[in-house]
Amino acid sequence: MGKPTEAKNKKSAAFQFIRRDFLKLLSFMGLSTLLPGRVFAKDDWRNDKNIPKQYIQNRDLPDFHIRSANPFMGVDMETWGLAVGGMVKNPIGFSYEDLFGMKMILQVSRLKCVECWSAKAEWQGFQFSELVEMVQPDPAAKFVYIQSADSYYESFAIEELLRPRVLFVLRMNGKSLSQDHGYPLRLIAPFKYGYKNIKYITSIKFMDTRKRNYWANSGPYSVDGTIQPGIDHPLDYNKKPLPINGGEVFHFFDH
Amino acid sequence: MKPFTLILLCCFLFACDSYEVKQIKVDVPADVQVPDGMVYIPAGDFIMGHKEEPRTRLGITVFSHAYLIDSYEVSRERYKKFRSEYSFHPKSAAYPVTHVSYSDSLEYCQANGKRLPTEIEWEKAARGLDGRKWPWRVFSAHPNNGFSGFTSEPVDKRKEWISPYGVYGMGHNVWEWIGEEYTYLGQPEGDRDRFKIIRGGLLQTHITIKFSPTYFRNWMAPESKLNFIGFRCAKDVG
Repeated sequence: MGKPTEAKNKKSAAFQFIRRDFLKLLSFMGLSTLLPGRVFAKDDWRNDKNIPKQYIQNRDLPDFHIRSANPFMGVDMETWGLAVGGMVKNPIGFSYEDLFGMKMILQVSRLKCVECWSAKAEWQGFQFSELVEMVQPDPAAKFVYIQSADSYYESFAIEELLRPRVLFVLRMNGKSLSQDHGYPLRLIAPFKYGYKNIKYITSIKFMDTRKRNYWANSGPYSVDGTIQPGIDHPLDYNKKPLPINGGEVFHFFDH
Repeated sequence: MKPFTLILLCCFLFACDSYEVKQIKVDVPADVQVPDGMVYIPAGDFIMGHKEEPRTRLGITVFSHAYLIDSYEVSRERYKKFRSEYSFHPKSAAYPVTHVSYSDSLEYCQANGKRLPTEIEWEKAARGLDGRKWPWRVFSAHPNNGFSGFTSEPVDKRKEWISPYGVYGMGHNVWEWIGEEYTYLGQPEGDRDRFKIIRGGLLQTHITIKFSPTYFRNWMAPESKLNFIGFRCAKDVG
């Protein structure tokens, strides 16, 4: 009894959002369909080494490195929304506040960069199944295409996002995500390399074919991005090289 | 070009092309039936582990009974005959099955009158009798170096990457479920009975890809279904 009522309440809340911010959503969704799957930042600093300090950019912070493929100024929360659509019965737009109505899961996990370092954090967010239940994807939809505010994009098999310990994250280490770490919304998929853990999410589109992702189009990186057996250099262990078995990274000192 | 130089050049070219992994001569007993797609490995000692790998048998001599083992990793098309809902692109039918858990793999083997190999069986099949590091003895760089991410290949593609016992796919392509718990001397109590052994895949560091040595041990939670894990089967003799 609880779950259908909860789903109905969530759905009611979402539709309230649509009624309240209809024009904003319409313009947002309209823009998304007009552009070829990407929303470029006003300034393109990707090939520039002298990125102004106020831009979110690569920084080797000692406790958690920051990686940013497309440096930008951060999300404008006046216009931000999460659009979930594509091959679904009920496309929905969510405000930031709507997302806190999901069931929150707390977990500690490592993010392992394909470049070899890893860092651990406490993440708080909701599971993909919450969205699936609400939008009701077409049975033929097997994949999702996820876009972000900094023109980054990723793709997943739906089955992968439904695995345990995959979260759409709102909070990190007890606080709202920082701009560096993907405010307002990011993905944490601990068994995938960091580049799969997309930040600044703006839309999730259900599809029956798989699109490529940013780093597969930009470098020698795979669309799949599953962490392979090899070596990790955890930042909380002074980057000492430690063997990893593949999949989500756990070290002997992780609790 | 002088004739002598030409002869030397031809010898060099032929030598490079003709490197073959010397096969161990095996006499199969008359009362042993070797099923298609399997090889017979006789009982006897072999060197297991390496002294530089603390979690291995450290290079001691270990005895194995005679057994049978699949020549190739189980392919997708073979697996689909067992589990019809397993889907894949038709062009990848000969690739190793992946995204299968330990129990998925065990059930397939059992349905075919087989079982998963033991760790002793796997390593002996890969390594032969001389304690070599690579099944094919001579080291070579992996052709996919410079690319991050695992790309599997048809199970029968690399004929040159054969073990001394005529087994393929040892040390490259997918890691393979072994029918044993992952244990080692000094293992913390909390880690016991948590993981199964996996053997024989690739190791990756950013865009560098390496074969795993014949004695390299890896571990994995048995419920894991990942793109780099498959399996092959073994069978008792008689």
